[in-house]
Amino acid sequence: MSIDSPSLLETFEQVCANPYQQARAAAEQGVPVAGLMCSYSPQELFHAAGYLPVRILGRAGATPRADQLVQTYSCSFARSALDSGLAGELDFLRLAVFSHTCDTLQNVADLWKRNCPGMQTLIVSTPNQTAGAAAQTYFRKELARVRAELAATAGPISDDDLRASMVLHARHRATMQRLYALRRDNPGALTGRQMMAVVTASFLMPKEEHLEKLTELLGALEQHPPGQADTRPRVLVAGSVCQDLGFIGAIEDAGCRIVDDDLCMGARSFLVPEAAEGDPLDALADQYLARTPCPAFHCPGFDPGTHLLERAQQAGADGVVFLLTKFCDPWAFDYAHAKNTLDEADIPALMLEVEQNLPVPEQFRTRTGAFVEILQSRAGL
Amino acid sequence: MSATRCFAGVDVGSATTKAVLIDEHAVALAHTLLPSGGRLAEAAERVLAKVLDQAGAVAVDVAAVVATGYGRDCVPARTKSVTEITCHARGAHALHPAVRSVIDIGGQDSKAIALDANGMVRRFEMNDKCAAGTGRFLDVMARTLDVALDEIGPVALTAERPASISSTCTVFAESEVVSLLAQGETVPHILSGLCLAITHRINSLASRVGMAPEVMMTGGVAKNVAVVKGIEQAIGLPVTVPDEPQIVGALGAALLARDLAEKEAASGSNAG
Repeated sequence: MSIDSPSLLETFEQVCANPYQQARAAAEQGVPVAGLMCSYSPQELFHAAGYLPVRILGRAGATPRADQLVQTYSCSFARSALDSGLAGELDFLRLAVFSHTCDTLQNVADLWKRNCPGMQTLIVSTPNQTAGAAAQTYFRKELARVRAELAATAGPISDDDLRASMVLHARHRATMQRLYALRRDNPGALTGRQMMAVVTASFLMPKEEHLEKLTELLGALEQHPPGQADTRPRVLVAGSVCQDLGFIGAIEDAGCRIVDDDLCMGARSFLVPEAAEGDPLDALADQYLARTPCPAFHCPGFDPGTHLLERAQQAGADGVVFLLTKFCDPWAFDYAHAKNTLDEADIPALMLEVEQNLPVPEQFRTRTGAFVEILQSRAGL
Repeated sequence: MSATRCFAGVDVGSATTKAVLIDEHAVALAHTLLPSGGRLAEAAERVLAKVLDQAGAVAVDVAAVVATGYGRDCVPARTKSVTEITCHARGAHALHPAVRSVIDIGGQDSKAIALDANGMVRRFEMNDKCAAGTGRFLDVMARTLDVALDEIGPVALTAERPASISSTCTVFAESEVVSLLAQGETVPHILSGLCLAITHRINSLASRVGMAPEVMMTGGVAKNVAVVKGIEQAIGLPVTVPDEPQIVGALGAALLARDLAEKEAASGSNAG
């Protein structure tokens, strides 16, 4: 059997081009679909309850319905996701799941509850301070509440079902980490855009199916010998989400190679410690609280600058490109600090403001171009 | 005339297209500037033809062309495209090797650049997506106030105080200017206020990059004495303005074209 990696990669790109196609089809077959707004929504629980969990994405285009309800300083991700809900584009959802992270999403959750009838809106509270025993107790209690709420309509979720779902998700994360490692070692194996498509599709496809295709892709890429030595500067991309594959493509078009990321909807979702033995809810709460903390949270002992520096060093990155969603203040405040840490370590960093709506603007091209020229001149290219 | 090996830099900006031709010793042979208009490739070809003509050279003498500016990828003759950030740094360094900071305000964007002793870019900041507080802003205001563009600076300096202008958004500021006129505010005061608004905006970019002496200002707005003076006060450092601030990017591009050709010649001779 010959494995065709280009056509496999094409599959992931197609999923990103029509993000809800599979979820809609599943809903038509009677599968309940849960739309998750945040990385802190426990997908394992929804999966164990028989739901197909998918991420709700932002989208391009006008947002006239959301504009009536939210302030101009709400980010384009929240605004466009809400507009999709109000427009009925997400009518295949049985559940919309929010987490208590940033102020905007907390308020959008309330707006969603009032204005998007036809689906249930579920809010999963998260501790504002993610370290320590109290946070674990609080979050475990919250997960138990969500489990009971799901059981009311989907039937009880046994510990075995939950464990099985956690094992599947752990296998998926481990396989994604292998793909990340492969790209770090051999960035020529797949472009940043292709990698981003694989990553984004993992939040949209049924996990079993994504894992199968991902394993197939890894098999094909691992057989592929590394190409010629690539002299292009190595870049790590950081930030919350990058749903527009065009931005990733535009960064690489400037003449660099994206070798790793520190994105919420990226490596942060796959670099999660293994689940402990014993009570699965305990283990699940621990796992979510052990994620690299969202900047909306307070986490004593965690330094976002040191974290980003370590990630950049592990990736062997020559520079860091920070994708900041416009009006996302938790990430914006963290960036200033992280930038100082990178400056001190002499790793150049570039911040690019992104929005769902805008095509890649000329200034974006000039900024990334000049940044790559800095990296090239430092490397003596 | 005997053929001299030469190198060209073409800077296709939003308002004007510039070209500089240099020889093997980096001596400028000719430079020129034309409005960019709607057809960028044609504008680039015209400036290139004009500098060649001025220098008495022909196209085959040009060993390499580096294109820069927002229309850099529209230059048919380019050997390579380089961003205007790198080119302005290189050009400023060539004019004054002691320059460590460049403030460039062009037709549609503004930049603050920190460079090292070799003229390499260390850090930069660039304005946001719109053309607020740039050359286009002054252009529109000049028309609204019926003042020639090159008169804005000298007239603004005659004001005893600046009128309060709260926005560098061209559209908002234009309606502010109309209201100020209606309230009886004088033209010099308004012009002084407009120049100050640009100064504040560029100062926030400059302070993010960190300005170290010497500071050079490039781009068309550097010709406005009131803006230059305002920037000097805001950053607390003297600002050098070259004789032809608009061609600094094209000069940098020409120098990079020379580097490129030399590098190629060197690798060719190594291989051979």
